[in-house]
Amino acid sequence: MRREEGVRALLDRVTDEPIIANLGPATADLFAAGDRDANLYSFGGMGLVSSIGLGVAMTAPERKVYVTDGDGSLLMNLGSLATIARMRPPNLVLIVWDNHQWAETGGQPTHTATGTDLAGIASAAGIPRVAAVSTLEAFEEALDQAAHEDGPWCIVADVEERGRPARPILDIEANLLRFRRTFEA
Amino acid sequence: MPAMHWTDAIVEGLRTHEVWTVPYVPDAAGWQVVSKLEADPAFTTVPSTREEEAVGIASGVYAAGGRAAVFMQSSGFGNTINALAQLCIVNRISVPLFIGMRGGLGEFNAAQIPPAQAVVPILDTLGIPHYAPEREEDVPNVVDGALRLCYAGRAPVAVLLYSSLVGAKRAT
Repeated sequence: MRREEGVRALLDRVTDEPIIANLGPATADLFAAGDRDANLYSFGGMGLVSSIGLGVAMTAPERKVYVTDGDGSLLMNLGSLATIARMRPPNLVLIVWDNHQWAETGGQPTHTATGTDLAGIASAAGIPRVAAVSTLEAFEEALDQAAHEDGPWCIVADVEERGRPARPILDIEANLLRFRRTFEA
Repeated sequence: MPAMHWTDAIVEGLRTHEVWTVPYVPDAAGWQVVSKLEADPAFTTVPSTREEEAVGIASGVYAAGGRAAVFMQSSGFGNTINALAQLCIVNRISVPLFIGMRGGLGEFNAAQIPPAQAVVPILDTLGIPHYAPEREEDVPNVVDGALRLCYAGRAPVAVLLYSSLVGAKRAT
């Protein structure tokens, strides 16, 4: 499957649920596919979106919270999987676009290209619902399940890297405030 | 009237400012506060594997309209630079930092000294205001003022807890 197909499948299934996107391709694809108030983009802070998602999920327990991470970034913050498992927010859905490379810096192979299994690590960390998918159909099935069943979920989607749209130029502070306002009663 | 114990002053400051979520990496100083927060149903503590992760979680709480403070030790403060510089400062996220300062009066472990000496220069380089209450009676005002500043300024603010206030950790 391609990452942009996965992003569209996710956008087709949400209304006002927050989506927190990792820097690079995850942010560029989400912005291109559908900018919305409940999208929080990243331009730095590599590795932190799963932690940001945990904080959002704990603060807004009434909403499903989606995070779109990358393999290189999650490898930088593997402890986050253990903390998510420990806090067990039922509404958190951590999606990992696993393209097996650091695409932003020239496509160097990450550790998932040499045998590291992020879904296996998520399971071993204690995340109760884990899916590893490599087709759009399987991804959509996992998303539909995650939308209706308690997690926390970790869905590792094996994606084919075909480049990304241009990096969106936007006001980073304004993006944070716009996202934050979606939580006001 | 005797001054409120410094730990209770921090707990009450967090309560007054509705800082209900507290990610932390345990240390001897901070734990004197965090253990009280864990026993208080109003607060949710989040044991974190690394200080940077704790700042990320606190940033998520703020992004969703809540408030979170991070507790850590000076030895781990360096781990937060990526999160502070690239996330909190860039996005303008309020995160109060409570840092248990080792490496000063009474220190027994040489490995604690260099990271502690780097904390204030790093905070200054990042432009993060920092305050260190010296006496127990100063703690309520410093905590209240730091939290007000943090939320008004939409940026991190640090409160440094030195051994002169919290007591030096003893070798075991």
